[in-house]
Amino acid sequence: MVESLYNVENENPAIWVFLEHHDGVLEGVSLELLSRGRQLADVIGWELTGLLIGHQVASLAEEAIALGADRVILAEHPLLEHFTVNGYVHVAQQALLEYQPSIFLSGATPDGRDLAGRLAVRMRTGLNADCTDLRLDPKTGILICEVSGFGGGVLALIEMETHRPQMATVRPGVFVPGEADSGRAGSLVSLEFDLPPEIIQTRVVERVSGESLDLTQLPILVCGGRGIHGHFEWMYELANLLGGDVGATRPPVDEGHIERQRQIGSTGAICRPKVAICFGISGAFHFIVGIQEADMVIAINNDPKAEIFDHADYCIVGDTHEIVPALIQEIRDWKMEVGD
Amino acid sequence: MPQTQIILDDTTWEELLELTHGAAAVCFQCGVCTATCPWGLVREETLSVRSYMRAAQLGLHKNGNEDLWLCTTCAQCEAYCPRGVEIADVFRGLRYLAWKRNQPHHGLSTLLWSVYWNNNPWEQPPSQRANWAKDLAAPQFDPEKHEILYYVGCTASYDSRAQKVARALVKIFQAAGVSFGILGEDEPCCGEEVLSVGHKLYFREMAEKATKTLRERGVTQLVTTDPHSYDAFKNHYNDAIQPLHYTQYLAHLIDQGRLTPRSPIPNSQSLITFHDPCYLSRHNAEIEAPRKVLSAIPGVELVEMPNIADDTLCCGGGGGRMWLETEAGERFSDLRVEEALSTGARILATACPYCIACLEDSVKAKGIEDLAVMDVAEIVAKNIVESALHER
Amino acid sequence: MSTLHIVVCIKVVPKPEEIAVDQETMLLIRDGVRSEINPPDMNAIEMALKLKDQYGGRISILSMGPLFFADYLRAPLAMGADHIYLMSDRQFGGADTLATTYTLAAGIRKLGNVDLIFCGEESSDGATGQVPAGLAEWLGINQLTQMDEVVIDPKKKLARGRREIKGGHLTLETPFPVVISAKTACNEPRFMDYTIKPWAFEEGRITIWRREDLEVEDDHIGLSGSPTRVSGLKQAPGRSRQRKFLKGNPAEIANQLGKILQATS
Repeated sequence: MVESLYNVENENPAIWVFLEHHDGVLEGVSLELLSRGRQLADVIGWELTGLLIGHQVASLAEEAIALGADRVILAEHPLLEHFTVNGYVHVAQQALLEYQPSIFLSGATPDGRDLAGRLAVRMRTGLNADCTDLRLDPKTGILICEVSGFGGGVLALIEMETHRPQMATVRPGVFVPGEADSGRAGSLVSLEFDLPPEIIQTRVVERVSGESLDLTQLPILVCGGRGIHGHFEWMYELANLLGGDVGATRPPVDEGHIERQRQIGSTGAICRPKVAICFGISGAFHFIVGIQEADMVIAINNDPKAEIFDHADYCIVGDTHEIVPALIQEIRDWKMEVGD
Repeated sequence: MPQTQIILDDTTWEELLELTHGAAAVCFQCGVCTATCPWGLVREETLSVRSYMRAAQLGLHKNGNEDLWLCTTCAQCEAYCPRGVEIADVFRGLRYLAWKRNQPHHGLSTLLWSVYWNNNPWEQPPSQRANWAKDLAAPQFDPEKHEILYYVGCTASYDSRAQKVARALVKIFQAAGVSFGILGEDEPCCGEEVLSVGHKLYFREMAEKATKTLRERGVTQLVTTDPHSYDAFKNHYNDAIQPLHYTQYLAHLIDQGRLTPRSPIPNSQSLITFHDPCYLSRHNAEIEAPRKVLSAIPGVELVEMPNIADDTLCCGGGGGRMWLETEAGERFSDLRVEEALSTGARILATACPYCIACLEDSVKAKGIEDLAVMDVAEIVAKNIVESALHER
Repeated sequence: MSTLHIVVCIKVVPKPEEIAVDQETMLLIRDGVRSEINPPDMNAIEMALKLKDQYGGRISILSMGPLFFADYLRAPLAMGADHIYLMSDRQFGGADTLATTYTLAAGIRKLGNVDLIFCGEESSDGATGQVPAGLAEWLGINQLTQMDEVVIDPKKKLARGRREIKGGHLTLETPFPVVISAKTACNEPRFMDYTIKPWAFEEGRITIWRREDLEVEDDHIGLSGSPTRVSGLKQAPGRSRQRKFLKGNPAEIANQLGKILQATS
């Protein structure tokens, strides 16, 4: 079999997390990985290391340490200001070869996938992608990755014996970020690396912040129908709290309460969120088609005979204007508890 | 607005001639079609049917033309055309040309791919086609044992609203002692939506495949839920499969005395108005059967809307429009439920899954509470089945 | 200027709702399961066809898998692709991402003179989304992944792609040859052209490549080239809805809902 550039014989007992950042802020999934990585490292007594690549990003290292990293390897260079797969893979490989960690984790974000997919081949090692859970065998140090296939219909556990590093990209949102502890101690190490400018072949033409709406890829979809009588401000408040966005059935769109791009269903967007929460929606087939791939559907309607309840996991017979404020309060309370 | 570009060439002309069997040739451009088109009721600028007939005569093709996909193939215009032009067919021909140029309306390629991969236009899993009948005694069709094949159709197989109609029919068949079977997962999509959106060649392929399946399964007589399937089998399949729409079949059963309604409809629901589906009334001249079935229920008083039979007002769901968005304020069904309300009826009955979906949407949108949209089969199941069971 | 040569890598996948796990053998039951072209790959095909519409050239479809894939591969041909290659050999079986991308790269090298290589964002069965990057690495060429839109300058041999990102978009540019992955649902794949379809479905339209047709090393392909192992497999609970009614006053219901939402986040 093809040999990895280093293997289990010469690995170092460390879990590495790729610290992804944009506009000077660490990505949510990186925080989640630091939290899970810390847990795994503690189980087996290994070190948790963050790999931080960029330009003038040293301040993020402190944050990573506060969130659980024992050490941060820092690679800074003007050419690394923006993520480019050529540049970042080139640097990451040098870091891996120098430190030879057992495990390398990154978020299953576009950049994380680009980096990991390419780096794994360069290291001649295996990669478990878009994992929904990570465990570590405390005896062998083997990483057990849970991945889902077939639209979530099948779960597989995947592991790798000899090739190193054990690489995985992890779906954002599956782990909960930990609390920052500014008193935590950790070390910052600057990586020595070479970076010939000609290897960066991808040019970032523009990176624009602005409005974009993609309801199809959301984790949480809050939908309003005729029964909410145009009160989409509630839907937005709830969606913001839950980190999702708002969709609608046809009638409120028709009545001008919300824009047409937010219509869900056979003549609108087909969505596959983790949770779809449906308020005041009767459940016409042309709407149902748009949410039937959701992992979970919660429906609130004051008509106990509404069709939507046939397509929901959790059904609430009640008035939206009573449930929504209570739910918003509930979520606020819980967010306070976890210190968000 | 998409740019419209007009192209004139001989090939197009010849193609259209072949696609439409020269249907437009006899048109003398009187414009009655444009005047009678229901789009005129909801839009300031109506669909200029006449100019499409002109385009077909000359071999004109407009690129990027969205209006082409407005036609619901309701055939209102055909009912008035003094030259008997098969106008819906001309539209289907023009649509096929758009397919050939890779210019279908957005969303319709997805519709065709769904039919191709899933055997239904609703992007539903083919393996779940018979799920609606799981808890019902609806056996696999066996030509030795069964009088009829109940051809459920895609919409009644998957749309939970239309499934109720299929369930009602099963109850009626059982009550009337009809021996019937279904094809379950093996039921082929009839392809009516492919035909409506004009993909004639794909439709032909589907029809051949479906015919083969039906023959292999020994089907001679089938009864459909959907007038669109009925029309496809009857008028667009080159085979001697005898389709009946279920209203026709129930009318036979009543004639034969196999289905005798005894228990009267409750007074509060006795006033019923019937919305003729285009594909029963105009395309297939079937006006009597559904009314006969409804009238057989003791206590039912049929009241008619102004536009009935040949003059029925389309619900807006034909011609592939079920898969395209129709702007609010431009839905024929809104006008139709107003018409129904004006009769004083408490039930707006119809006999087509698309009509039910559109009319029910409009009833809900208008917040009308004292008008129920029901399928004829549902009304019969409620009021005939029990009495028939009593007889046994 | 040489004509544009585009390769689209596609996969045939079982329809997700039909797949089941044999509880005893812990293997996927694939017998009698309906398949389809991996839906994101259809978006990749459409992206490639749009470029062909604009600039001409030819499109080769490349796939790897059992021979029964061949039936499914005719659809892209009827959509406007020019050639279909299926790499099919028992030895290719059981490949993970590393071995899959290695083998696909070997297929692309055999095709030669490729300007653009399109892939779907991910496959619905594995959902790894790592093939495009891995493939680009084996080939030593550039990559543009999860693209919503791609334009090219065939003279300058440059590809420019736009990716929607949270709250905006990112535009990247890179020289040919390049692996491009199309964002799922970024376009509407055209239906088959029925004037081409009879040709596409004729016998002999598909070129089959066996192990010996490719320059590959045995220890790099299939199961033996795959460092990862599946150690467990289970079927997730089906999609049938629970239809559980929550009771109580609004505060109590909100409390129950809060717990449910917390458990999923």
